[in-house]
Formats: sequence, structure tokens, C-alpha cells
Amino acid sequence: MLGSITHPQTRALHQAHARRYRRAWVVMTILVAAVLLLAAFGYFGNVAWPTLLKAVLNTTYRLALAYGIALVLGTTLALLVGWSPFADVLFPVFDVLQNVPSFALIPLFIYFFGFTSEMIILFAVSSIIWPILFAVLTAIKSAHKDLNDAATIFGANGLRRIRYYLAPLSFPAMLTGSIVGIAIGWEAVIGAEIITNVAGFGDFIREASASGISQSMIAGTFAILVIVFTVNRLVWAPLLAESSKHYAE
Amino acid sequence: MTLVLSRVTAHFSDATAHEAPALKDMSFSVPSGSFVSIIGPSGSGKSTLMRVILGLMPHTSGEIVRNFSRPAMVFQNYALFPWLTALDNVAFGLRMDGMDRLERERIAREKLKEVGLAHLEHHYPAALSGGQRQRVGLARALAISPDLLIMDEPFSNLDTITAEALKADLLKIWRAYGMTILMVNHLIPDAIELSDQIIIMGAHPGRVEKTLAIDLPRPRDTRNMRFFKEVDLLTEAIRAIS
Repeated sequence: MLGSITHPQTRALHQAHARRYRRAWVVMTILVAAVLLLAAFGYFGNVAWPTLLKAVLNTTYRLALAYGIALVLGTTLALLVGWSPFADVLFPVFDVLQNVPSFALIPLFIYFFGFTSEMIILFAVSSIIWPILFAVLTAIKSAHKDLNDAATIFGANGLRRIRYYLAPLSFPAMLTGSIVGIAIGWEAVIGAEIITNVAGFGDFIREASASGISQSMIAGTFAILVIVFTVNRLVWAPLLAESSKHYAE
Repeated sequence: MTLVLSRVTAHFSDATAHEAPALKDMSFSVPSGSFVSIIGPSGSGKSTLMRVILGLMPHTSGEIVRNFSRPAMVFQNYALFPWLTALDNVAFGLRMDGMDRLERERIAREKLKEVGLAHLEHHYPAALSGGQRQRVGLARALAISPDLLIMDEPFSNLDTITAEALKADLLKIWRAYGMTILMVNHLIPDAIELSDQIIIMGAHPGRVEKTLAIDLPRPRDTRNMRFFKEVDLLTEAIRAIS
């Protein structure tokens, strides 16, 4: 019965997701097998694993915290601006601000916060926030007029409009903004660690590169790949699948 | 009268603050409990008129007397919230009214049953056909017990069989609820079958060209001579303005 009712487009989406999911696991399995093979032949003998693990955890912690702050700030700001009558005025202002290259601002962050972990986190926030803010704001601005009218006619007015209409409306955009934001966030955190020498993965690969230990760099890169892949498969992929299932037109 | 418009004019304005006339000097009235259709060519501002009546778009001059307090609307493109199930879509207006969950779900189930979709309450809009989505849209409108139901070409995206079934249900619902219905329509036979009064609009800018009262007895027989005569009259009136 359900099979006959379910829309063919929805079924096709599910099948596409399942295919992508299987392909991703195949790629990961090949990568893991390659690294295990290298490890078995003693390739990673010189790698200081505890130092690497600590560096990767430091970087991941900074990124996670920066993402959390950027998500709350970016989404809240976008929802408030999208809800207010000033969206059209503020959109170009945000557009100019996001075009300022993040790394050009790093001296400013160092000036205010010094060579600290907090500086790196706040610097990463300033990079991650834009894709989230723009994705949410664009979703709100491009919502179908009829859907906006339906929300108004059926009473989603005032602050309730944000909770019951704008927030769920922009959920898929928030997801895609987050994925892009986190990709930018990795660059921001690792780049800032390389520049400032604050302990983390960036600092680890800078030192490994300076001392010519390429095995450490390869092991470190693989560790980051595992984290990126795991987060993608366990967090983003299911959320995207859920979103495309419920938000398909 | 549920609604009275006196010389209502409205303009579109774009980002460059350029204003284009959308509606000009529109005057008509909608008696309480009646079924009124608005018919006219593309670009005559029928949908704009609905938005002006509901206060979703401002009018620049003229007067609108709104003797209704609970308007609802059924949209051509359904306008269902894709993240909500059929049941939650129907209950949306009641939720915004602050009604508790059990009560609003009871009412929403009742309305879904009225439109023949009780078995699909947990389905999301994406998993429903066009006809089913339009029925959910109708149930959502009925759930808030509207005194004015505005319908913007509700049958235009549906196949003939689905549209005929929905039309029959709509007439039953209208009789049962006794509410006022204002429907934008583009099919002449449909407008005559359903309406007490038909407002013919002209385009560029949108204006009232003619108002016709349809006094055929109900239920209407769409195959008798009087019905065909009314169809001819309306067709001629539309030809004369286009």
C-alpha cells in the first residue's frame, strides 16, 4: 500500500542516497586498507602517534566549538534578518562583509586575543558563519510567495513565524551551509594553527614538514580524512537524506 | 455582505521603486454565504486581487469593507508545508491559535476524513499526488472554521477526473458549512456550475468588466439547455472584452 502511494520522485531520491552511501563506504574501505598495508610494512614507524592524536583532537575540538558558535549566531542572525523588513537592505551589506578575505583579518584577531586557542576558535567562527548565514537567508528570501502567504493566513505571525515557519523552512539550507562552513572551518583552524604555532594539527604538520618527516604528514592527513568521512557519513548524510525526503516538492 | 470593494486600486512596485498598475477602480460585493467566481484572462490580476482582499498586499486607493474574521485560502500550487505531515499541515492554523495538541489533532483528523484522506495523515506532501495535496490544502482551510474561503484556481493543476471529484466534494462542504466562497476560476462551465455570481475581469490593469448573477437552481444539471445558455452568455461576454 505504502509503496503504491509513495511518490516516484521520493523513491528515486532514496535510491540515489543509498547508492552514494555504498560508494562512500567502498572508497573509505580502500583508503583504510591502503594505510593498514603501509603500517604493516613499517612505513609509519617514525610517527609520534600520541602527539599526532593530541594535535588532531585539539584541532577537531576547536572546529567543533567554532562551528557550534557560528551555527547559533549565523542561524539566529539570518532568521531575525529574514523575518524583519530589513532583509533586502542588509543582504548586500553581508555580501560585502563576507567578501573580506578571512586570513586578512588574522592580525586583528591576534591583536585582540593573542596567540591563543580562543583566538583560533573566534577566527574560525568568522569564516564558518558566512555560508550558514547566507544559505539560511537565501532560503528565506527565495521561499515561494504562496508558502509565505499560507504561513501568514494561517497565523504564523510575529515571533511564532520564526519558530514554526522560517526555521523549518530553512533547515535544508542550514544543513548545506553547515557542510560548506565546516569545510572552510578546517582550513581556517589549520591555517591559523600553522601561522600562530598554537598546538594543533596545523602546528604538527608545519613541524613535520620542517623536519622532513613525510610519514607524519601522511598519517596526519589520513587521520583528518577519517574524521571528515566519519562526520559526513554519521551526521550529514543521514540529515541530508531526511531533509530531501521531507522537503522534496 | 461578507466583502465590499469600492473603487479599489493597487500597484505593483519593484526594487527600483517603479510602480505598475495591478488593479484599477475595482468595485463589487460578495453576499454572505454565497459562492462567487472571478474569471478573467491571464494578467488580469485575479491572484493579486485575492492578496489585496486578504490584506497581504496593500491597495493604494479605494475602500475594502471586510466583514469576515477568519479567512482561509486554498492555493493553486497547494502551498503545503513540506516538512509537516498531512495531519500537521491541516492542524497548522489551530496550532498557531494555541490549541492543545490532542484537540487540534482530533479536528485535523476529522477534516482529513471529510476530504477522504484519513488514511494518509502521516504522509508528507512529497508523497501525495496533486489531487491529494489539494484535498489536504482544503482540509487545512476548513480546520480553522473560516467565514470566508478564498480559492485561487484550485483545480487548474489537477486532471479532469480528480478535479470533478474535488468539485463535487467542495459543493457538499460549502452547503454543510454555509461559508462564503470566493474562487478564482478559468473554466467557464465550472464557474457556472458552482457560482451564484461571476465577476469577469479585464486585464492591464485588472478591472471589473461585468458581473453576472447565475440563478440556475441547485443542484445544477450541467447537461440541460439553461446551463448551456448560461455558458454561451458568459463565453460571449468574455469574447467581447478580449
